[in-house]
Amino acid sequence: MRKILSPRVRGYRQDFLKIAQVYPVPYLTGGSESSCVVFNLDTMEAPPVTMMPVTGGTINMMEYLLQGSVLDHSLESLIHRLRGLCDNMEPETFLDHEMVFLLKGQQASPFVLRARRSMDRAGAPWHLRYLGQPEMGDKNRHALVRNCVDIATSENLTDFLMEMGFRMDHEFVAKGHLFRKGIMKIMVYKIFRILVPGNTDSTEALSLSYLVELSVVAPAGQDVVSDDMKNFAEQLKPLVHLEKIDPKRLM
Amino acid sequence: MQREEKQLEASLDALLSQVADLKNSLGSFICKLENEYGRLTWPSVLDSFALLSGQLNTLNKVLKHEKTPLFRNQVIIPLVLSPDRDEDLMRQTEGRVPVFSHEVVPDHLRTKPDPEVEEQEKQLTTDAARIGADAAQKQIQSLNKMCSNLLEKISKEERESESGGLRPNKQTFNPTDTNALVAAVAFGKGLSNWRPSGSSGPGQPGQPGAGTILAGTSGLQQVQMAGAPSQQQPMLSGVQMAQAGQPGKMPSGIKTNIKSASMHPYQRPSCLVFILAVPLRCKVKKLLGQEEKKNARLQLW
Repeated sequence: MRKILSPRVRGYRQDFLKIAQVYPVPYLTGGSESSCVVFNLDTMEAPPVTMMPVTGGTINMMEYLLQGSVLDHSLESLIHRLRGLCDNMEPETFLDHEMVFLLKGQQASPFVLRARRSMDRAGAPWHLRYLGQPEMGDKNRHALVRNCVDIATSENLTDFLMEMGFRMDHEFVAKGHLFRKGIMKIMVYKIFRILVPGNTDSTEALSLSYLVELSVVAPAGQDVVSDDMKNFAEQLKPLVHLEKIDPKRLM
Repeated sequence: MQREEKQLEASLDALLSQVADLKNSLGSFICKLENEYGRLTWPSVLDSFALLSGQLNTLNKVLKHEKTPLFRNQVIIPLVLSPDRDEDLMRQTEGRVPVFSHEVVPDHLRTKPDPEVEEQEKQLTTDAARIGADAAQKQIQSLNKMCSNLLEKISKEERESESGGLRPNKQTFNPTDTNALVAAVAFGKGLSNWRPSGSSGPGQPGQPGAGTILAGTSGLQQVQMAGAPSQQQPMLSGVQMAQAGQPGKMPSGIKTNIKSASMHPYQRPSCLVFILAVPLRCKVKKLLGQEEKKNARLQLW
């Protein structure tokens, strides 16, 4: 006969990992709130069900995305143009290490989670992201739309995911610039392949281009966002062609 | 009669305005040549020429207009010649012709060209007549052909040089690169991934260990347990979290996870690998009760 282990069982404490405390991170999600989960480590008791959100309290957030690329020698002109077009702030560079984890279930399609950590900002939380399948069908929508859940986590995220059964599928290093215009986020970054697994120092560039991404994280149903994105993309037109690229087409 | 007079007047007015425009542009062109001679560029000169040619064209059109009476049929006869200053005339000619006198009239009212010019023209006409109609036609055709060839060559050259000039500027992005980068970010194409062949469930010792994490887990999986789960496994299951307060009820997502993790073990009945968080044996006994010691398979669901 099977019995379920109740979480009230003591003695787990030393075996427990520090459970990831989840808290909202505005700059990562562009100002939106994320779910909040607090697990009480002392009593090993979770709050009763009514307070227990998995997705509670937040609306379904969608990510609107436009992508393009720019060759290395034209990067400077693109950066100048973006500095002129975007909000006035200090030019922000980032160096991130992203790992993609897969959980293969009985279903054909594995469950994908993306864990990202900052390599140049000490103390920044790790970022865990779920991206759904792109919503197809609406030809008038100018951007790629997919369901998106973002949370910030503590550093032991990879251990946690491993224990959950996820396995790392691939990883890369992203180095580039970040711009913002209102709720739109523009990232211009270069992807580096990691030659020795786990060692982020030995990297090589994947191509001679920088990937340019224009993204907005907004509640579902706000298609006017994609029009704004398209107008912004027009202004970058001869330098970069930002368009909706379906990843399934590139498989 | 009335109508013709009106027509004449209207056409004269039109002609006058056209000629005034032409005069102005000629004047500005001359000014440009005289004053800006040093920094004049060929395109600027061409612009002025184009303007003049356009204005001459419109003048021609006005003259050819159906409503314009034939000026050839009109005759201008000076009625009064006087050596006195004529203010009216001065005003109308903008100060150029102060006196309507004997000197002025032959120049301004002339209809025939100069005698030398007339002589040359006569010679040309006799030459042309001497050649003969066929030869003349052939010459015309060859001239036309040469002109069109030249025009073609010029336009082709212009087109090629334009595209050549644009091409280095145009390539600011490479679509192939775009696709490669998007594929890399979306599902790791081109990045070295070591997804193990076959199922990626637990128990794949062949995975290259990327640091301690993977090595730890693979080590973990290789442990085989029989009977009571006495193994101390340091890791927890996140299931606990989701289970809180509602044993037996769990979000379906997590359920799937655990199910998948537990798939493997059923294939290897001796391996109780799916136990993710089991403390000491005594705790287990406490949970299960003594009588269930035999079926000490803990299943988290």
